[in-house]
Amino acid sequence: MSDRERIKVMRIIEKETGGKSYKAHKYSLDDSERPSVDYGNSEIIWKRRAETTVHRNYVNLGPLAKRLASMDDQILSYFLDGSRRVFKVDDIAYAKSGGRSVIYPVIAGQIGVGCCRRINKRIEPAKYKREYVLAMPDVADADGKPGFWPATAKKLNECEELKRLGIEFTTILPYKTSQADDKKFVDRATACVQDRMIEREKELVAELVREGRLNQNNYLVKDGSLEYRPTKEDKADRAKYLKFKNNYNYVIGVSKNFNPEVCEDINGKPNPGYIAELPLYHRTPVAEYENPMLGDIKFAVWYVRLRDKSRTRTPFDGILKIEKILVTEEENEVGIDSELVDLLSAYIINERNPVCYGADLRWANHIYPIYLTESFIKSKYLNAESFLNLF
Amino acid sequence: MSKLIGRVLATEKAPTTMDEFNFWTNSDMKLHAFDIVKVEHIEGSFTFGVIENISHITDAQSFLTNFISSDFGDVNIDEPTLRVGMNYAKAKVSFNNKNLYTPVHNNAKVYLASADEITMALGLDRVENPLVCGSLRMYEGTEDEVILPVNLNSKFILGPEGAHLNISGISGLAAKTSYAMFLMKAIQDQYLAAEKDDSVAFVIFNVKGRDLMAIDRPNDFATDPPGEKERTYKEYKNLGLTTEPFKNVTYYIPYSAPNSAKQSTYLSKDDVENYIAAKQLKKFKYVYADDKENIEMMFADVDDPAQTMESIISKIIDKDDRDFGNLETWHEFMEKVSEKATKGGAGDKGDISILSWRKFKRVVRKALQDDMFANAVKPANNECRLADELKHIRANEVRVIDIAKLPEDKQAFVFGDVVRTIYNLKLGEYDDEIGVQPPTRIVIFIDELNKYASKEVPKTSPILREILDVTERGRSLGVILFAAEQFRSAIHDRVTGNCATHAYGRTNSIETSTRDYSSLPATYKNMLTRLEQGEYLVQNPVFRSLLKITFPKPIYRQFK
Repeated sequence: MSDRERIKVMRIIEKETGGKSYKAHKYSLDDSERPSVDYGNSEIIWKRRAETTVHRNYVNLGPLAKRLASMDDQILSYFLDGSRRVFKVDDIAYAKSGGRSVIYPVIAGQIGVGCCRRINKRIEPAKYKREYVLAMPDVADADGKPGFWPATAKKLNECEELKRLGIEFTTILPYKTSQADDKKFVDRATACVQDRMIEREKELVAELVREGRLNQNNYLVKDGSLEYRPTKEDKADRAKYLKFKNNYNYVIGVSKNFNPEVCEDINGKPNPGYIAELPLYHRTPVAEYENPMLGDIKFAVWYVRLRDKSRTRTPFDGILKIEKILVTEEENEVGIDSELVDLLSAYIINERNPVCYGADLRWANHIYPIYLTESFIKSKYLNAESFLNLF
Repeated sequence: MSKLIGRVLATEKAPTTMDEFNFWTNSDMKLHAFDIVKVEHIEGSFTFGVIENISHITDAQSFLTNFISSDFGDVNIDEPTLRVGMNYAKAKVSFNNKNLYTPVHNNAKVYLASADEITMALGLDRVENPLVCGSLRMYEGTEDEVILPVNLNSKFILGPEGAHLNISGISGLAAKTSYAMFLMKAIQDQYLAAEKDDSVAFVIFNVKGRDLMAIDRPNDFATDPPGEKERTYKEYKNLGLTTEPFKNVTYYIPYSAPNSAKQSTYLSKDDVENYIAAKQLKKFKYVYADDKENIEMMFADVDDPAQTMESIISKIIDKDDRDFGNLETWHEFMEKVSEKATKGGAGDKGDISILSWRKFKRVVRKALQDDMFANAVKPANNECRLADELKHIRANEVRVIDIAKLPEDKQAFVFGDVVRTIYNLKLGEYDDEIGVQPPTRIVIFIDELNKYASKEVPKTSPILREILDVTERGRSLGVILFAAEQFRSAIHDRVTGNCATHAYGRTNSIETSTRDYSSLPATYKNMLTRLEQGEYLVQNPVFRSLLKITFPKPIYRQFK
């Protein structure tokens, strides 16, 4: 089949949505991964201290970590990460009122989420999911009828070229085009893909939880913040739901980036310095917060320093933010068991080695099994050249 | 069914080529240099490769990464997760069963090969005139271990296609003599067992102790651990050889006067008497009238740029020479030489200066101080002339000449004499004499070849000349040189260059860094410094690549 006969994705999109493709330059939108401070989500509300022992100061975990290392025992067994790659693949024009037309970017993304398991100190892949998505301006759906996007995606997947390559776009995500805020279209589209990835991550966590693979000897460490969202089916059966919720006992979220502004000191004032001053192999006391976006769930959160401040670039490098869901009644009332916090923190501290120094600029905040999981997911991506060539 | 052990790697920076490829394997997989692997290739064919090197890599970007991973240098830190690592092996393409030498493809399956496949891959299945030269061990130390006999084409070691064997390696650790003896035993076995168009005999020099002075007596394995005998016998049987020592052996020791305290051999008096009783031993002598032509052998190590020594020697062997033509004994000869070397004496005339005569006298007088230079041979006392004996060598005979206790210059003299005699015998110079029936091929084995054919030996050396004649023309004449030396790099290039078969035993890194080894890959060079006793890398025109072989312990009596 000659190149001319090949029907590219954009031709179908053009046809299905009545837009006009401008065959713009195609390029990747991902910037290289670098250490950054996440100024994030100001919607988080800090509540009270949330652990059984009231610590007024940093807790030293050095001796405990050392003891655990010498026992050669492990409870952190599963590691989960998600990753996405976004590309601007075209500009497309849609008619607006008054006979004028506006140009919008079309964004394509590859999403991968994966989970690895550690057996005998070796990391093995346990689960993996990948999908290809498109993000289109919402105005492309001229009629505004439900089912338009799935139908368009289906049309797309019927195209010979995609079939030949075994590629399927799972969905088309519409991004908002109204001028409500000053966010660029490209950023809005990227946010859609990002949300989709988080959604898939949650699914994978829920899957592990549902399969009952997690227990007090096999914790799951999830890269980034913990988003807890059971599906409707999970909630339907109360007994099942309790079990499901209970299994979240064995999931912790470990974030490389966090917003130090959010952290409060003893007096309840935001104090980034409190985290920056955290000594090596110490943790902060546990705080509790709620995220209204996620419903009535309470989180326990604390910080651990893995690396000596004098060895890192900034005082925030080498600190991990750890989250855990408060599951039981008891936990919700008096807070999480301090001994458990110490134990988990000590295990996390022992994850400081090996490092991915040289391969990743964020080495000080990376823990190796997560780094490997990330590498595993990335190794599964369709390469950028091939992907862009579809459009 | 073959065991799948890995997949081929082909990247931009490390592509597969017609010559080589890389493949990854499990880090715990036991493989060795020289192991053969089989790779799936196009059109259902298989490409075979010989492993040259194995590397282990991890995802650590630099040494620093590893250092940081131990809390910046704490040696006691153990990591809770093992770094991702893998082994990859580099293999040289040796063979494709459908002659398809396009590079193997990325991710192609790599298997261990079966015994038959290994034989085919190394080209050992099509060896004509097979002569066993050892056995080959693959996948050593694993459950898939394969042991195969290795045959080379005897026409490529005994001629006429290719001839001569060179063995190099450190004394003791390489077991050079044992390997040469093993090959000769294999040859004798073969020629004794089968009716062949050609025939072979052996002339062996014993240069150390009593080492080769009992090669027709069985090994008693007295100093070996129990069961060694059975094990060794089994190895011989597996290689298709008999478990008997050499046959038809005669020993020659230098003559020494019966009343002399000085012995000319390391054999005990009893041994000598036993051998004589069995008619297996003779004492050799040199008689002036017959052996004066060999006087030049005494000058092998003497620099003679103006060729004055040569002119003296040609004067001496000239039958019509006024001075030397009628002499009968070494004594008369020495008197004559003294006369020539005396200032104002009767000989102080002619074109050879008195200084040259004096130099000649010095060398000769020292050389002749030995009982073996005698006036006459008494056959009744088991005495003989070596040349006369060797002329009558017959098929399948082994003649061992003991020069171990002779000083170096006399060793050279005897060796030169023997090589010349054998060479002349095969040239047909003695064909008219009664009882001369030389076999079609005569193998001469000499250890310490560096004494006679090193790069430092003067170009005028008559022994070097003899050796060059043998290595360059002996192939067609049927004179085959099996030579051994510690350092191959010290040997004259025209000698090693003419050897068809080379066996490399254990050596040191100084030796492997010389030009002679530059064609070997670095891994093989390192391997040469680690070879065990009884292991050799063998090169022969019929092999597709160097082979690492082992051979069993000697089957004849050992002196420790």
